[in-house]
Amino acid sequence: MPLLIDSAPDCIVQNEGATPDDDSLDFILQDRYADCAGFGTFMPGSTYGEDGSSAETLYYILTWLGIVVTVAALLAWVIYENRQLVGHVARVRGRRTAADEPPPEPGV
Amino acid sequence: MIDFLIAQVDSLEDAASAESQVLDSVILGEQYYFFTVVLMWLIHVGFMTYEAGVARRKNVLATAMKNILTIAVVTPTFYYVGWWVYNCNQPGFPPIGPNSSDFTSVACQGGIPWSDTFGPNLTNNINLIFFLAFLLFSWTTASIMSGALLERVRLSAYLLLAALLGSVVWILDAAWGWSAGGWMTLRFGFHDSIASGVVHGVAGAFALGVLFNLGPRIGKYTRDGLARSFRPHDLHRTLLGLMLIFTGFYAFYAACLVISSQSFPGWANIYLSPTTLGSITMVITFGFAGGFTGGYFGSRGDPFWTVSGGLAGVISVSAGADVYAPTLAYLISMGSAALVVWSGSWIEKKMRVDDVVGAVAVHGVAGFLGLIWVGVFAAGYPTGLNNVSSSLWGQLLGVATFLPLGFLTGWFASWVLKKMNLLRVPPEVELEGLDVVEYHADLYLPEMAAVRERIIEPDGTIVEAEAVVVEAESELIRR
Repeated sequence: MPLLIDSAPDCIVQNEGATPDDDSLDFILQDRYADCAGFGTFMPGSTYGEDGSSAETLYYILTWLGIVVTVAALLAWVIYENRQLVGHVARVRGRRTAADEPPPEPGV
Repeated sequence: MIDFLIAQVDSLEDAASAESQVLDSVILGEQYYFFTVVLMWLIHVGFMTYEAGVARRKNVLATAMKNILTIAVVTPTFYYVGWWVYNCNQPGFPPIGPNSSDFTSVACQGGIPWSDTFGPNLTNNINLIFFLAFLLFSWTTASIMSGALLERVRLSAYLLLAALLGSVVWILDAAWGWSAGGWMTLRFGFHDSIASGVVHGVAGAFALGVLFNLGPRIGKYTRDGLARSFRPHDLHRTLLGLMLIFTGFYAFYAACLVISSQSFPGWANIYLSPTTLGSITMVITFGFAGGFTGGYFGSRGDPFWTVSGGLAGVISVSAGADVYAPTLAYLISMGSAALVVWSGSWIEKKMRVDDVVGAVAVHGVAGFLGLIWVGVFAAGYPTGLNNVSSSLWGQLLGVATFLPLGFLTGWFASWVLKKMNLLRVPPEVELEGLDVVEYHADLYLPEMAAVRERIIEPDGTIVEAEAVVVEAESELIRR
């Protein structure tokens, strides 16, 4: 049994403990997946064309999580770069202002 | 009885053999697109090299990073949005009537990002690899804009614009005019087999819209509006980059075909009309030959425009590459490349648009010319599932649809960024160079960095750039 998360779709036939001969139809061990279409982690695992487009809740949530992260990364790029540029301009203008000031006179 | 049994066994063997052949065919198709994807990476290696060569030394790293991060942004946005746009919007807005085929609605199921075809799938191993070929087209489209904006656009602004162009704008026009179910093809016979207008024209128009808001680099124009030239820091790198792009273009061309193993000749264009891999390869090769020649004579031997002419030549024959004769491709590409050189100069000097790599001319002008040439030279070919003949009218409709779609979206998105002060780097940063400010690094050894940057004045004299750009910057700040 998986330690934390069982992400395999229900269509996969679990056959732990079987002898090798039980699944020797092909060199790809396809029997366990015979009822599956999309069988990636968290994917619906239903037969394509009948109810394949109705994603399981977890797969749906995972996809939306990816969308949110993509948007967040784009916003982070804008904010990070803006902060970097504004900081640099402030430093440059500060240096220029300091250079424009007359040097302190002796005794003042 | 024995005869009957033998016949039964034979029939079972035939069925097994037929099933095996179909499987072989599907796997070969999957491999075919896989290798086009791998080779199309060279387009991006090329874009990075090409643009880094054009940039001044102080902006080389920033330029290369921009190209690399295009992949980081367009990949997820195309997956989450772009493939849905392509597969689910082919009938147009609003959907155009009975001529739209059911093909669209079936394909739409595979376009949504939570479709079960986006992973290991026992019933569909073509959808993903086809998606990846389109993803590489999307990177290419976004990268076309990249070169035009060099040396003053913010990285984040570019990435937002790249996501919009690569994952929404171009793929929407592809849905309309570069698919078997697109309304422009089904109703008007629009014909753009290897994406002259769909990819290049739209990207060029989008870049022009952005350039209007972005403005020229500091010091590009004199007070009188005459154009100065910034010298590429490494012209050889630029030429090498273009040659890499050309290599990848062969894969781009190959990826635009559909394998149809059940019917002769086994290949179809994106509209499912027949063509051959050999014929489109012939056209691209003659497109380069004619384009180099036209670019050379159009620019009086300028190396940059000679090689760019090759690219423009190919783009101008792409729309009709599935049907053109080699000599026609040679002549069209030669004439188009010369026109592109002229238009590049016009855009720079008359329109005063600072397009660093001439992308608007090379991709935009050549792309839309390519659409028109099909209407002139290849009218009458049945295009698409409804077998509507290609025509000048249909091609002009394509220009009239794609040009505003690209230009207006680019202009509006960059206008919003400009209003938010997020489009362009501050003048101080532009003057110092983006590499030092954004990456805290100078790519070059100190002794190389000490070589003074030069600029070519409108009258052709070469002067040291520093005084010119500092003066231009202080003018800008005073304003």
